[in-house]
Amino acid sequence: MREKWNFILYLVWFTYLILSAVLMFGHGFLLSRKTLSDVTECVSLDKFGCDGREKGNATVMEICAEDEKIRRILAVPGGPLACVPQRSRVVFLLVDALRYDFTEYDAGLKKPLPYQNRLPVMHEMLDKWPERTRLFRFMADPPTTTLQRVKALATGSLPTFIDASSNFAAMELQEDSVIDQVTRNGGKAVLLGDDTWARLMPGKWLRSHAMYSFHTWDLDTVDLEVDSKIYDELKKDDWDLLVAHYLGVDHAGHRYGPNHAEMTRKLDETNSRLKKVIELLPPDVLLFVVGDHGMTETGDHGGESRAERTAAYFAYRGAGLGGSGADIATGREVQQTDLAPTLSAALGRPPPAPSLGNLLLPVLPKSSTTHTLLQLTNNLKQITQYLIRYGEESQQISLDRLAQLINATREQLDKAALIDTEDELNNYITDVRALVDNIRNVFREVWVEFDSLSMLRALLLLLLAIFFNWLITEGIPMERLPHVFAGTFVPYGLTAMALCISVCYTAYYMKYLEDLEHAIILSTGLISGGFTCVLVLIHWDGITQRWCEGRSLFYERFARASLVASAAVLVSNSYIIEEGAGLSFLFLSVLALMVFNISNVKALVIWAGCGVALAVSRLYRGCREEQGDCWTAGAGVPTGQASRAALVLALGSVAAVVAVARRHVGWRGYGIVVAGLFACAHWAVGWGSLGSPSRSRLLARGSWLVIGTMFALLFKRDGQGATLPLIVCSLLFYIANSLVLGAAYAPSAAIALVLGFLALNIVSMLKSDGGSKYSLVSQRCNSSVACMWALLASYNFYGTGHHATLGHVRWAPAFHAGDPNYLDIGPPITAFLVALELFGMPLMFGAAVPLLALWGRAGATAVGPRTQLAAVFSLCLKFALCFAIRVFVSAISATVHCRHLMIWGVFTPKLLFESGACAAALLGTLLGAVLAAWHVAPAPAARSS
Amino acid sequence: MFSLTNHLELRRITISSLITCIYLPSIVTVVSYKGLLYSVGNASSFYILVLIFIAELLKSFYLNSNNDIQAKKKQSKNKAGDIIRSFVFLLCVKFCFFVGIILFGAPVLDCHEETLMLSTLLTLLTVFPLIVHTGVETSMQLLFGLKNYGKDTIIEMLVNNALLTICGAWLGAVVIPLDWNTPWQVWPIPCYLGAIGGFLLSNVLTVLKVTLMSAAQKYPALNVLVHVLNRFQTSK
Repeated sequence: MREKWNFILYLVWFTYLILSAVLMFGHGFLLSRKTLSDVTECVSLDKFGCDGREKGNATVMEICAEDEKIRRILAVPGGPLACVPQRSRVVFLLVDALRYDFTEYDAGLKKPLPYQNRLPVMHEMLDKWPERTRLFRFMADPPTTTLQRVKALATGSLPTFIDASSNFAAMELQEDSVIDQVTRNGGKAVLLGDDTWARLMPGKWLRSHAMYSFHTWDLDTVDLEVDSKIYDELKKDDWDLLVAHYLGVDHAGHRYGPNHAEMTRKLDETNSRLKKVIELLPPDVLLFVVGDHGMTETGDHGGESRAERTAAYFAYRGAGLGGSGADIATGREVQQTDLAPTLSAALGRPPPAPSLGNLLLPVLPKSSTTHTLLQLTNNLKQITQYLIRYGEESQQISLDRLAQLINATREQLDKAALIDTEDELNNYITDVRALVDNIRNVFREVWVEFDSLSMLRALLLLLLAIFFNWLITEGIPMERLPHVFAGTFVPYGLTAMALCISVCYTAYYMKYLEDLEHAIILSTGLISGGFTCVLVLIHWDGITQRWCEGRSLFYERFARASLVASAAVLVSNSYIIEEGAGLSFLFLSVLALMVFNISNVKALVIWAGCGVALAVSRLYRGCREEQGDCWTAGAGVPTGQASRAALVLALGSVAAVVAVARRHVGWRGYGIVVAGLFACAHWAVGWGSLGSPSRSRLLARGSWLVIGTMFALLFKRDGQGATLPLIVCSLLFYIANSLVLGAAYAPSAAIALVLGFLALNIVSMLKSDGGSKYSLVSQRCNSSVACMWALLASYNFYGTGHHATLGHVRWAPAFHAGDPNYLDIGPPITAFLVALELFGMPLMFGAAVPLLALWGRAGATAVGPRTQLAAVFSLCLKFALCFAIRVFVSAISATVHCRHLMIWGVFTPKLLFESGACAAALLGTLLGAVLAAWHVAPAPAARSS
Repeated sequence: MFSLTNHLELRRITISSLITCIYLPSIVTVVSYKGLLYSVGNASSFYILVLIFIAELLKSFYLNSNNDIQAKKKQSKNKAGDIIRSFVFLLCVKFCFFVGIILFGAPVLDCHEETLMLSTLLTLLTVFPLIVHTGVETSMQLLFGLKNYGKDTIIEMLVNNALLTICGAWLGAVVIPLDWNTPWQVWPIPCYLGAIGGFLLSNVLTVLKVTLMSAAQKYPALNVLVHVLNRFQTSK
């Protein structure tokens, strides 16, 4: 039995290959940015002494001219930011997807397209009052999706997909923003329109009329609602900032594209709206009309083509605007990051802390030289602070580079005090702009651009691993498998890997290599590909023979096709959104064909039971934001507290499972009963307002203790084969899952367990065509069975109330047994509990894979231990391959769609969760295989002899 | 695989399939021309089912017309009882379809009207012709796999029709989750049309096969195509 541990080692090897390739892909693909919770503060001019230093608590009233004071403040190096006394009110109209060429006007155009010459009001204003009006190109950074753009406009930064912060599950913006700055100073902001703003910055608004924004086929509701409010708001003067977000143009683009009469209608509406707003606008109020992104010729956005990136920026102020020369030329390109500091400056506030933008002086009211200088230095000081803080928190940008940038900004700051004349000021403004642009580009490189090389390499490695392992499991005949793995293949392979890693490490040590991790993953992946290739070549005769002889049944082909289909639809966003329903549909179809193959009433009844269980689990499935109707009905967000009925269901489900299971698992049943009782008591004691949280936590800890002990005891050999320990292992996983899922979702874990049990029984009834023991075993560890099991495991991710969005990650499980942050090992415990809550189901089903081969009278327990182990191994590898294929396809779809509209909302979260599920399934399979190998050896050998 | 031994039966099969190929598309065309295609899920479109019912009934009479006289005598003994029994059986089958469709993912608590219409259609297209042709007992035996339909060409055709109908309805569900927001993506229109399409396809294949088989007698080269068609139909 040399192959026993070789099987396990090979599974470990395979797990490593898949996970390392996924890790490498993630490094190239997942752009991340560290979110800092810093807030920019400014000190009002009254608090400064005449020497330009902050006074502290001294109340001596010194009298000196404001100009003089500001000069002094500028001369003090490293002083705090000083508030600019000048402030005005701002109306900020965001017309979603207002492309720049929508705003152009060309009277000579003979046959204007539906979107051309539709906003003549801007043109008239520019002609009539050039000193009051500006029109710029407003360049967005990818991703050009509304959520990311709104974040960018409010913070002045470059949002990526993962803005890593302490709590990245919440939608709420964790960083400083313009709205924060306004309210910090007692200013008031009013919101009309798209509810993205309200969700990003809740609780900051004086009045907010936010509307649900995902009905992309509804062109008018939001706009009419905003129209009904905005004119009244314009007449009031209790606000400082009025944000109005119109969605009609964007929705017209999504539904019909820009070349359509509906677009003409929406732009005409915008034109008349704008005219009316300008009439009503008091002269000292600033009006900004901006688009957050453009659109392609088909009306889509999200990518980085020029049409998507070029939005419009229209500014108007009745009392005139500042700026001069080339700066105010119509059609000049300005960056969207510039809006946040400019808006803050207009409102008399310093720029928000994460902003990397320039001040746009041409759209601000005219101001004196000293005020302009103060605004510029505020901007520079804030950026310097940000550079320093970012360098402290993250190593994304090398310290040398950061230090260089910081020094350059300090240099510019020192120059500020020496500027007197207009010309000097203009030169200074140009210098500052160049410097800020430079800084912005450095960050853009890290936050916006993918590392396509490592993405492609990772895909290649995944493909290699999947292809050759597929050949091995599907090709090499079952009866040869033990001999293949009893040989020197696995030890040689692992030795080669170790050699490879040491060579890489040496090279890194000798400074030939820069990226150690990348090199190790790449070289080991390639070498393993070579090894498996050689193995396949050696056994090519067996593989071809098996493929020539074997003709699989229809249900087997259908099961494989279903798995491939379930993976292939991951390239379509609608199927990802509805994946729960799709997986249950496919699983039930595969099972139906298996029942058709068995064709007896018992199997039919079991199948119907599966169907009913799936239908019941729909109650727990919930929905995500994109499923509009369901989401707005309030079914989306799971509530934390379980209702009375849910508690009763949870207690009942655990009690029932424990009561039924304990009789069949021998002495281990006691452990399961105790763990289940602890879990029930944990919910019951902690429930409601009368519950005692501390005792409840204690009980949960007790339950975990029992579960841990039982896991350790699983490795006590009792010589009765592997079936029993595997069942106990699944039951323990079930109890652990229901603990972390909490009372509200615990019944869904029971449903999953029942589903697995029923599917297992159907598998054990499958007919085999031949009478020999090999054909029996190979029937049981057919890839169709593994595919069915993988579909079920993937479905139960959704069945237990999860969805592939970051907003659906629940954090409560981390705290159900007390706050782990007080412990030294807190973070790993938190991560473990949250991961178990998310991926407990793939883990459980992975650990139960060997049961598929061993379960029942007709199972592999009837044959010798070597065949048994080979069957378990081949089934485990097939199951792991199913998940690897799904991850591979989601990685491909993320690569293909990397500039798609929904990449950050749909495809990337899917990739993340699919990788998580794959890792859990692989680990579970490993555990199951180890258990099987541990228990299988001695007893059946005795029995079979 | 059809046998060429019984020419009369073959001709009847061909003609009945041809009738289906004509009447079913014309119903769908008329309905869609009237702009009612997207309301096939409502009870108001029950007349379509009645039309299909009548057509299938007539077809079965045609298929049964020349059966041996003894069988006819047997049937005529208690015709009323037979009709009631088959009616009850059809209702049971319809209920099974209803439950099955819901298990496969149709809404549980609402849209019962639509689901019922779909299950009625499926019953009409799959089990109903079988019952009219062979009677309740035989079709029950066929369903539960107690009896093999062996060489009976007509039953083979009917079973083929039933299987392809169900495949069509199954495939129809594929388009529902897509976010195209077209009016025909509403439950149960894709499945309904898919079932009709599957039934139609099966009939077209039958006609094609019989034609090819008779042509292959003259031109043996066509046997390859016949073989391919056979494999396609028996691959279930």
